[in-house]
Amino acid sequence: MKKTTKALSLFFALLMVVLSFAACSSSKEDWEYIENRKKMVIGYTLFQPMNYKDDDGKLVGFDTEFAEAVCAELAITPEFVQINWDTKTTELKSKKIDAIWNGFTVTEERKKEFDFSVPYVVNKQVAVVKKERADEFKTIENLATAKLTAETKSAGESAIQGDEKLKDADYISVEFQTDALLEVKSGTSDVAVIDYTMAKSMLSEGSDYSDLMIVEGLELSPEEYAVGFRKDSPVTLEKVNAAIETLAESGKLGEIAAKYNLGEELADNLK
Amino acid sequence: MSFWNVTLSLWEGFQTTIFIFVLTILMSLPLGLVVAFGSMSKFKPLSILTRAFVWIIRGTPLMLQIIIVFYMPGMLFNIPSESRMGAVVVAFVINYSAYFSEIYRGGIESISKGQYEAGQVLGMTKSQVFFKVILMQIVKRILPSMSNEVITLVKDTSLARIIAVGELIRHAQDFVSDGLIWPLFYAGIFYLLFSGVLTILFGWLEKRLNYYKG
Repeated sequence: MKKTTKALSLFFALLMVVLSFAACSSSKEDWEYIENRKKMVIGYTLFQPMNYKDDDGKLVGFDTEFAEAVCAELAITPEFVQINWDTKTTELKSKKIDAIWNGFTVTEERKKEFDFSVPYVVNKQVAVVKKERADEFKTIENLATAKLTAETKSAGESAIQGDEKLKDADYISVEFQTDALLEVKSGTSDVAVIDYTMAKSMLSEGSDYSDLMIVEGLELSPEEYAVGFRKDSPVTLEKVNAAIETLAESGKLGEIAAKYNLGEELADNLK
Repeated sequence: MSFWNVTLSLWEGFQTTIFIFVLTILMSLPLGLVVAFGSMSKFKPLSILTRAFVWIIRGTPLMLQIIIVFYMPGMLFNIPSESRMGAVVVAFVINYSAYFSEIYRGGIESISKGQYEAGQVLGMTKSQVFFKVILMQIVKRILPSMSNEVITLVKDTSLARIIAVGELIRHAQDFVSDGLIWPLFYAGIFYLLFSGVLTILFGWLEKRLNYYKG
């Protein structure tokens, strides 16, 4: 009996020591942590054209190649980990991942929780409807009386809730932007508010969503994409921003953007 | 966000969870018995059809079934589903009837033929034998497997969030995406308490049914 108690107390003492070490290392500068491990773990969700699997199952996309190029500049290896968008904050804080690099929109609210790199793509929110019902949805007023949908906590959701006319509309939030498109396709919602970049790529010919369309001339809150890092990691930011700039100057960034049809959306100072 | 606010929000989600649970139980318990009789039917086409149904329902994820029930009508026949909750309940009832039917079947087939014959000798009709002699013995025998399935249902209700029904986990996840993690674990306590109550209930039922021990 006594032996067990001793063993137990020893175990707890050890646990305390380990925990206090863990606490120490987490307060250490973020960059040192990444550099020591020689890799940056990048959290993503499947999101065309940013991160997606090509026909061979290889992870490609603008953000994928962009992250690879930046990591090459920094002489570290990128490791891509698919995350649940809802729990991205937790993943980052618990160091399951080191960066959120996935068409991550900069918002004032998020700035309190994340450190953002320089914005690299300017995106806007658009309304997607069924082609055959295009006539019903031409103006913001039309949308106000329709059934709206967007991804939970997405920029699309803030575009709806931040709009004077739309904030009281019949709105339902879904788990993914593609679910919002599915809602519109099946008619369970009338209008999906999603990223322009995604809409452009998802609604193209040959996709199952080609019977949907973007409402012309109706732009909701333009937004900027940046890479999200843990709060208070100035050195990481500095390193990544410098690498992004180098890539922009060498024309490599423009090349990747052109490959994914994002040339126009690239942030002005990086073109 | 205070503890109280989180509790209120989770409580709201928990009510939806209970709602799905109660409706599913109320409808799938009788429906499962119907399916069980179907699969034991001596009329071959009916039993083959029912067994195929059970195979499909048990062989595909419930999550997929929910998506199909909710989105398919709109995409195939252009009649979009009106009610999210309706679709969830339909999918759950179908799914759980299939599982319950197999439990019933096991119970019914475990009763020895001798009992039916004895009943007949005493001049009882077939249905009299089933309802007055057999039924409660079956209930007693299948209770442990039933409690298993029912407790699984408590947690399966969380799948409803796939079509944006605001059940318990969905409410908790809304906090997580606001940067608050503990509500997710707190939600676990709700499930734990609920299944605890059910466990006690089933224990009590089992005791009450001891009389029918075969």
